[in-house]
Amino acid sequence: MAIASYSSEDRFHEPAKITPPSASDLSGLNYIRGIWAARHFWMHLSLSDLRSRWRRSFFGIFWTIIQPLGLTLLLSFVFGKIFHSDITDYAPFILSGMILWDFVIASAVGGSLTFVQADAYIKQCRHPLAIYSLRTVLTNLIVFLCASTSLLVWVLIWRPQNFGWAWLAVPTVVPLLVLIAWPLATLLGYIGARFRDLPHALGLVLQALWFISPIYLEPKVFRGGGLHLLVDANPIYHLLQIVRAPLLQGEWPTWQNYGFSFGLIAGLILLAVLVGRSAEKKVIYYL
Amino acid sequence: MNRISLNNVDLHYHSAAFKERSLKSLLAGVVTGKKVRQGQIHHIHALKGISVEIKAGERVGLLGHNGAGKSTFLKMVAGLYPISGGERIVEGRIRSLFDLSLGFEPDASGRENILYRGLLLGMSPKKMREIEDEVVRFADLGEFIDYPIKTYSAGMQVRLAFAVSTAVEGDVLLLDEVIGAGDAAFIVKAQNRIRALIEKSEILVLASHDFASLKSICDRGLVFHRGEIVFDGGVEASIAQYKRVNGLA
Repeated sequence: MAIASYSSEDRFHEPAKITPPSASDLSGLNYIRGIWAARHFWMHLSLSDLRSRWRRSFFGIFWTIIQPLGLTLLLSFVFGKIFHSDITDYAPFILSGMILWDFVIASAVGGSLTFVQADAYIKQCRHPLAIYSLRTVLTNLIVFLCASTSLLVWVLIWRPQNFGWAWLAVPTVVPLLVLIAWPLATLLGYIGARFRDLPHALGLVLQALWFISPIYLEPKVFRGGGLHLLVDANPIYHLLQIVRAPLLQGEWPTWQNYGFSFGLIAGLILLAVLVGRSAEKKVIYYL
Repeated sequence: MNRISLNNVDLHYHSAAFKERSLKSLLAGVVTGKKVRQGQIHHIHALKGISVEIKAGERVGLLGHNGAGKSTFLKMVAGLYPISGGERIVEGRIRSLFDLSLGFEPDASGRENILYRGLLLGMSPKKMREIEDEVVRFADLGEFIDYPIKTYSAGMQVRLAFAVSTAVEGDVLLLDEVIGAGDAAFIVKAQNRIRALIEKSEILVLASHDFASLKSICDRGLVFHRGEIVFDGGVEASIAQYKRVNGLA
């Protein structure tokens, strides 16, 4: 898996001559080994992020549950009136979309700043940069898991008939989310270190994505408008279906749902690796 | 076998890091069709054709005035900065003491920060619990050790950072002007501790302007001038050469 070729005009590659055991080799396997070797460090960073987020707050980590729940109640009341949907049906739909989308937003925006915020560490110690984006993703994942409990409880109370074997598919969304958010955060981190406009631009892009995806709006709204493509060819829809199909409809997710998710993962990893090959070493100059 | 082997190493600070760095200026260049003109701000050629062999057991001092390339050299050896040409081989576990007070979590207590710093340096949580008491004793901050770092004075932060960073051993020790923090009593303690750390390391590379400590610690000197090594030899001769190069003698 070694990075094979170095272009002669790019002066900022060095031949991969540095010998192990230091985590300084950029070839794929050693890179991953470096991430594993630093596991105590990024896990603690992540936990310390969580601690500092709710330091001196009364509800603490329960805010991860209260916040989406409160917003869901409000939105489902308003949207339910507009679209004449039943609030008990519509609310878990919104809640599932909100929790998952919040995770994506937090990982994307947090990712774009992750190297900039870790500058003190990056300037002192040579670790694979992906540990800092992993820290961001891990922090957000814990928030996501806490928030999910409210969704599970809601569905179990209001739609107990949905409970069944298909629920086994629900936990599979966790590794998928990590494999999507980690390369995404890393990629945006590389770009964000160089272009500090990125977090602002991301706000716009994510808002646009939210609008054209069935996150709060039901797929039937898009289909009714003849916009089938925004549902069927939208990886965000397919990713959401992995949770929504079992929880809200009591059905198994389809292979297409997984196919699109894996496609997204492959694309993001490819992009992150391509950008990272030249950006990984330059990041320190931009901090 | 621990060693540092540098063969004709070049290092450039990429000009993009301090030239255009916003999307606006990049897009403006694209739209107006103007290539961002090369030659206005150059890449900084910080290290030029550095070739050095440092073997196990050597104690090397780096001399040179500010901006001569000492710190860049250390960070290059530590693997922080990518080299743009030549070959760098560093074998051994690297321990570097640069910018000590960087990287504290201001809201976490001193004790928590000992753990974080240790983990940053690649220690396991178990090992850090073992050495925690010793670090706390050395930093000697009294009950402040359980207060958040943001309540610390600058001097107290340095003491804590120093205590943690020097508690972790390594084969290749890279020091950049770390002696001289804290009050008089602490400086004496710190110097003793640095010496103990140096004795345990296989290779030492120390950048300093303090000739006395260079003479007492090092046996070999490298004199830097404008990114080049202009002298490589015994420490006494290096100091004389450094003075000559900079017109001090």
